[in-house]
Amino acid sequence: MSTIVAQSVGITPLEVSLFVFILITAVLTALFRDVLASIVIFAAYSLGLAVLYTFYRAPDVGLTEAAIGAGITTIFLLLTIAKTTRPATDELFEPINWPAVGVCGLFALVVGSTLFAFPGVGDPNSPVMTNPDVTVHYIEESYAETGAENAVTSVLAAYRGFDTFGEAVVVFAAGVSSLIVLGREVFTS
Amino acid sequence: MSDDRADQQLGEGVSRQQPAYTESQVIMSSVKAVVPFVMTYGLFMMFHGGGSPGGAFQGGALIASVFLMIAFAFGIDATREWLSNTIVVGLGGFGVLIFGGLSLGTIALGGNFLEYTVYEPVFGSILGLDEVGFVKYGMEAVEIGGIAFIVAGILMGLFFLLAAGFNPAGVHDGSMVATDGSGENGEVRSDD
Repeated sequence: MSTIVAQSVGITPLEVSLFVFILITAVLTALFRDVLASIVIFAAYSLGLAVLYTFYRAPDVGLTEAAIGAGITTIFLLLTIAKTTRPATDELFEPINWPAVGVCGLFALVVGSTLFAFPGVGDPNSPVMTNPDVTVHYIEESYAETGAENAVTSVLAAYRGFDTFGEAVVVFAAGVSSLIVLGREVFTS
Repeated sequence: MSDDRADQQLGEGVSRQQPAYTESQVIMSSVKAVVPFVMTYGLFMMFHGGGSPGGAFQGGALIASVFLMIAFAFGIDATREWLSNTIVVGLGGFGVLIFGGLSLGTIALGGNFLEYTVYEPVFGSILGLDEVGFVKYGMEAVEIGGIAFIVAGILMGLFFLLAAGFNPAGVHDGSMVATDGSGENGEVRSDD
């Protein structure tokens, strides 16, 4: 752990508070008995993630997380519980399922054990920064090849356009299949 | 849908939510104030995705969220009647057509999938663009005309669809019931 911190720019208090916020909201989402409370806390969790992505220089991902994760998903979940039943309860928290906690904890430990293999944040010697075949190619060539200042967009719409086509059609298919499942012919009137 | 009423007293531990619309001056005023800015930001993100963070997906989601906010403030049923189904379906359908047409057009001209430069020998003299220009504006067309249209259209459609809920008449007898615009189904479901 110490070598990672030494290579990186260090963990700032802002990052620490963001991580704590995200962890707390994530745990509370699972713990709250009331579905409505869970959904609201889940929106706060998404917002925390969006700020974290922006902090780590991934504004495109951060914007998506804020718009889709914190915004649209929350509205859809709220609509869903408005359309379904909601168990009335006096309990604030769900009783903790300890076997599930054990399994999830074990999984987190296994995944977490790979953390030490990661380079530090902003490490100039990390493979992402030095690999000439992949990252450096896009950083240096994408403007000349595509004319787009944002290299992320050039990857999405040109280099990896086929993936993006699939993603866009998946959204379209979601709309069509929702019409079929809900037995309707029109979205609005 | 008559037994929906009965569902409301399902049992001791279960309560059915009533998504009844309450007219709130606070919500209406704040939505009125916020909507122009969100719309502008969404359009900016959509048109400027090639040069700044964001892009068509996020911009389309923001544009859809404008209509979601209007629906929350002024009532889902009122907004559903105001927002034509043609717009929603048109956005989604034309998005897929534009994206699919542009990408399959490159294959028809003998190039690879989305290899924008193969348009240059055909349309280059008409449009006055070089190869990079074709890539640049091809990407813009795919971003704006493809992804943003699809995302904006389908997200608003999904919202009103989820708000309308399940229509058992459309599924149970195997054939879809004609809803002809703001027909009975919309009306019956609206107060559930």
